[in-house]
Amino acid sequence: MRELLSKVAFIIALTFVWELMRETCHYSELLLPGIASIGEALWTERWEILGKTVFSLKIIAMGLSTAVTLAAIGTFISMSGKMFSEIMTDFMAIMHPLPGIAILPVAILWFGIGIKAILFVIIFSAVWPLINHFYTGFRSIPANQLEVGRNLGLSGVKLALLVMLPASFPHILGGLRTGWARAWQASVAAELVFGAAGGEGGLGWFLYKKRFMMETPGVFAGMVVIILIGIAVEYLIFAGIEKRTVKKWKTIVD
Amino acid sequence: MLSIRKNVVAVVLLFCLLAAACLSGCSAKDNSAKAAPAGESRQVIRVARQFGLVYAPLMVAEKKDYFSKYGLQVEWKTLGSGGAVREAMAANELDVAFMGIPPYLIGWDKGLPAKIAAGYVVSPVSLVTHDPSIKTIKDFKPEHKIALPSPGSIQHILLAMALEKETGNPNAFDDNLVALPHPDGCQAMLAKKDVAAHFTTPPYLFEELSQPGYHVVLDGFEAFGGDFNFNVALVTKDYHDKHPEGYAAFVMGLNDAMNWVNEHKEETAELLAPDFKISKEKLLEYLKADGMNYTTAPYGLMGFAEFMKKAGYISKVPEKLSDIAWENILAQIGRREGKPSVLEEIQQSK
Repeated sequence: MRELLSKVAFIIALTFVWELMRETCHYSELLLPGIASIGEALWTERWEILGKTVFSLKIIAMGLSTAVTLAAIGTFISMSGKMFSEIMTDFMAIMHPLPGIAILPVAILWFGIGIKAILFVIIFSAVWPLINHFYTGFRSIPANQLEVGRNLGLSGVKLALLVMLPASFPHILGGLRTGWARAWQASVAAELVFGAAGGEGGLGWFLYKKRFMMETPGVFAGMVVIILIGIAVEYLIFAGIEKRTVKKWKTIVD
Repeated sequence: MLSIRKNVVAVVLLFCLLAAACLSGCSAKDNSAKAAPAGESRQVIRVARQFGLVYAPLMVAEKKDYFSKYGLQVEWKTLGSGGAVREAMAANELDVAFMGIPPYLIGWDKGLPAKIAAGYVVSPVSLVTHDPSIKTIKDFKPEHKIALPSPGSIQHILLAMALEKETGNPNAFDDNLVALPHPDGCQAMLAKKDVAAHFTTPPYLFEELSQPGYHVVLDGFEAFGGDFNFNVALVTKDYHDKHPEGYAAFVMGLNDAMNWVNEHKEETAELLAPDFKISKEKLLEYLKADGMNYTTAPYGLMGFAEFMKKAGYISKVPEKLSDIAWENILAQIGRREGKPSVLEEIQQSK
């Protein structure tokens, strides 16, 4: 409760400073719209924003689930032999620093303009940090824990699910967090750069349209929604998972 | 208690930070063109340029020093898109920009403090397709994607105008639109991938039409019902009011460049062929293409506004020409007593 109160106080202070800045500097609505007009833009565009948000989240869900599956396969391969792990490490060194948006031109050449290209960029952005975290997680499982598991008669899938997964879960959660953040950024950025294909698009496309119509309050409204979704996913989903898993199991010390 | 105190500290810090940002912003706001060093009466002007055949006169003006003839020093700025140019103008980072009349009207409607200082070229703009089944704009199906530079661009508005005349619904194909810069759109067209049609301008237009089977579905002049400036030269209120000599010098330099291009098309082609990376014969052919008119006269300044208001792109229409144009433009058009003059009539669409 108290945490919530202090957060609300912080937001109120921020809006106060924002308005003060506008008043003292006489910025035009074009450069720095007032809180009221941003709120108004949010309200009048609510249905469009909602539709675009749903679209964005749908694409992210598709991209991220594919990326997690690919990352799991990649990790499994690199765990299954020294040669594979070296190849995977080299691959990661090459690919991980590439921002997803940098491969957009290639994605368009291969998949054309549209959802497929955006999906490709999202998957590419998320898959490398995911593999990195998964692999680190599995490699850092203490040997004695595995031994205890084996002594209890666990092997194969059971060992993986009951011992390896909980032991490496902090890393996996970290990977999911980074993967989500990168996927979210990539989807917005990709749509901002080349728009959407054929009248459907997510929040990035919304920002793009508002920008070209010079509706600065609308641009800010879109940004507010993007921030809110980021906060909601972090505090509701990831913090919730954390509380129910690694904190409960005492694998991380808070 | 402790956490509350921490928060107070945080808020105070934030406050200081923003106050600092605000003050620096305030001081940076007055960053209009700096006067040249003392002892010189040179004016400085910051001009944004983009790429394309219509920018030939500007390139000529730069190469032949037409602006310095009038004591004007130009700082050229290159920005990625029309959107960025408009934003830079709103932030007073630019004194002069070139853009289509519809994007300018969208800016004007939102309070962009700039007006038209010169018409800039009349040029063909056409919707091209490679699909033999598409003869008129009525033949487009939901699966046909139409590429154009951006929503609210002159191409988008021309298409909406034509659609309204043909079908009564200006937004009939909004779901078919794909926003692509001209070069990318041209590439997609030549690859016949994704894109069925492309609303574009020279040289990309000529490039596409030179391919077998590529044909024009909609001509921009027909959609508008007359000639219109492909771009207009905008000068900010700030610069116009504070630097009248600089303003006059810029308009004169632009006029000189236009005249030189019109009288020396061969030399222009020779001068600019390396910049456009095409042969000078081809460039000459483009410069002499049907419908190209290198002029600073105003054409069709008011013709887009009525339609854009009706279709919901802008909230108001300029009541009089002086809302959107500076005095040299107004004086060119004049005001005939009785029936409007020819010059007044060509500012409207049909």
